[in-house]
Amino acid sequence: MNLEEKLKILADSAKYDASCSSSGSTRKVSKGIGNVAFSGICHSFASDGRCISLLKILMTNCCIFDCKYCLNRKSNSIPRAIFTPQEICEITINFYRRNYIEGLFLSSGILKNPDYTMDLLIKTITLLRKKYHFGGYIHAKAIPGASEKKLRELGLLVDRLSANIELPTDHGLKLLAPNKNKTHVEKIMGYVKDNQTKHFVPAGQSTQMIIGATKETDFDIMSKSASLYQKYQLKRVFYSAYIPVNKDSLLPSLEKPPLKRENRLYQADWLLRFYHFNINDLLDEKNPNFNILIDPKADFALRHMDEFPKEINCCSYYDLLKIPGIGVKSAKRILSARRIFQLTFDDLKKMGVVLKRAKYFITCNGKYFMSPQFFQKEFIEKNLVLEEKLPSFGAHEQLRLFNE
Amino acid sequence: MNNTCYIYDDTFIQLLNLIYTLIKKQIKPGNIQNTFYTPTLLDEIIHLKITEGSEVITKIIQEMGAYTYRVIYYVFLSLEENKELIIYYLLLNGFKYKEQVLYHRNLKCVTKAITISRYVLHEIHKYKGFIRFKELDNHVLYAEIEPVNDILYFISHHFEHRLKQEYWIIKDVKRGILSIYNKKKYYLISENNFELSTLKLSNKELEMEKLWKTFYKTIGIETRKNERCRRNFMPKKYWKYMIEMENER
Repeated sequence: MNLEEKLKILADSAKYDASCSSSGSTRKVSKGIGNVAFSGICHSFASDGRCISLLKILMTNCCIFDCKYCLNRKSNSIPRAIFTPQEICEITINFYRRNYIEGLFLSSGILKNPDYTMDLLIKTITLLRKKYHFGGYIHAKAIPGASEKKLRELGLLVDRLSANIELPTDHGLKLLAPNKNKTHVEKIMGYVKDNQTKHFVPAGQSTQMIIGATKETDFDIMSKSASLYQKYQLKRVFYSAYIPVNKDSLLPSLEKPPLKRENRLYQADWLLRFYHFNINDLLDEKNPNFNILIDPKADFALRHMDEFPKEINCCSYYDLLKIPGIGVKSAKRILSARRIFQLTFDDLKKMGVVLKRAKYFITCNGKYFMSPQFFQKEFIEKNLVLEEKLPSFGAHEQLRLFNE
Repeated sequence: MNNTCYIYDDTFIQLLNLIYTLIKKQIKPGNIQNTFYTPTLLDEIIHLKITEGSEVITKIIQEMGAYTYRVIYYVFLSLEENKELIIYYLLLNGFKYKEQVLYHRNLKCVTKAITISRYVLHEIHKYKGFIRFKELDNHVLYAEIEPVNDILYFISHHFEHRLKQEYWIIKDVKRGILSIYNKKKYYLISENNFELSTLKLSNKELEMEKLWKTFYKTIGIETRKNERCRRNFMPKKYWKYMIEMENER
């Protein structure tokens, strides 16, 4: 098997992992090749619109586990391959020099036992760091069940170390990933959180959940991620719409992955982390799923019409963040600008506020954008739904007058 | 109507010096242009005698803060037609409102300057990722770019830290400027002083490009295909020098 065939198999096996971020590391590099950029840099975008910043590969797709949803499970008959440490280093360095990638994302199926697999990962990354003097970003997956000693060794070499929780509830995990143990994953997270310094996993940890493979509600999923953020100070929780790659009686048969639902979960995730929302503001037991037609923030506003419209020129920062169409940046811009002059709708537009959404929920100097009698839930809801359905920009190719 | 058109000698420092002189003498210019400007019949061309030296930069940073100064520099690097006048009005207001000047978003020059500087910064960031080097047979890395704004300096600065143990050349095709790095420092020179036609690719280059194209094709998930999203993040104007887009251009 030549290098290209191997790369094809092992990139194909790794592509279902959602994480590809390369940001957040403050590690200083003095010599060798490569450094890290705090903001992260995207180097390309794949045909599915996801960013490619890291060389995302598995070391091997051989695995002793038999997780139902996974392409690489033991019982699947697919071509298997394994990279040698040298091969991984050569590809990484050569891609990095040509500026194809920002670094390496190395994960692996489980060979023999977790510690043996960890040893292979450590060997590879040590070679890359010490012999090739690679200073770029490395994201490694910790193998569930590995000992703390191995976690320590690996964590000192990489920027980000993560373990995937895969399913939000214990019940789902038992059903679909019988070999995986929830306590193993949480043990890794706890260990990384307790030991994180600027030398040990400087860019923090993340995790991933599969959406739509089991019957969890959005409320279950969001509660789980809220508790993960709180307990382990995760940088990110990634949501990955379930894509049927295997046939199994335990798995749902979906025509298309639930992409819209994934989108709503990400929106809610941002609201929790940056907009000071509470999970109970968005969902509760009686109302456990997101509205597919309207984004969570607008949905919140529509359910709390008594708090709106808010006056842009005097409401607090936290109130500004609650307004649909106003983000963290524009809220801060509004704060600094309104000390100097009274804002109007025109000024807001120039500041990057999405007025087509925000206008329904704000007043500027006491003025509503149209007659106040239209400030009604049904009217606004109808318009917002319509807004989302319209494509924000037209067809990509310009229309031609004549067919060629 | 104000037909006066003041000419500066194309450098950033000279522009700042000229504007500073104008502000001190309380002259309101109708236009400010560099030496490449072809005047129209109505223009009254004026070459003002101005002081040289970089004290004006210190002055600006002291009065308005380093951030404002950076915004001004980004505006200067852009292709905007009236950038000199925008900088003039920004400085005029800057001396009045000091560090607060960028909060005055009701002033046209402020919103314009912020929009332009954000556009330049955005392009710099995009090019940090989308630029592609090719290895030559003498192990030198070579890349071509075609940015809208004059950002070669920032790109070079980035790769000076990233690829510090390599020899590399980056060429701004549209402006004909090369950035050449010799493992210690990079130099910006005009392409007229450098012979590029003899460049040959290393024998490993095509093999690596093929590997990268294979990786690129494999990593996209077919069932999630989303052309609109891809174009949104990676507009077609960047595709020209990207190896993985060769077949789709």
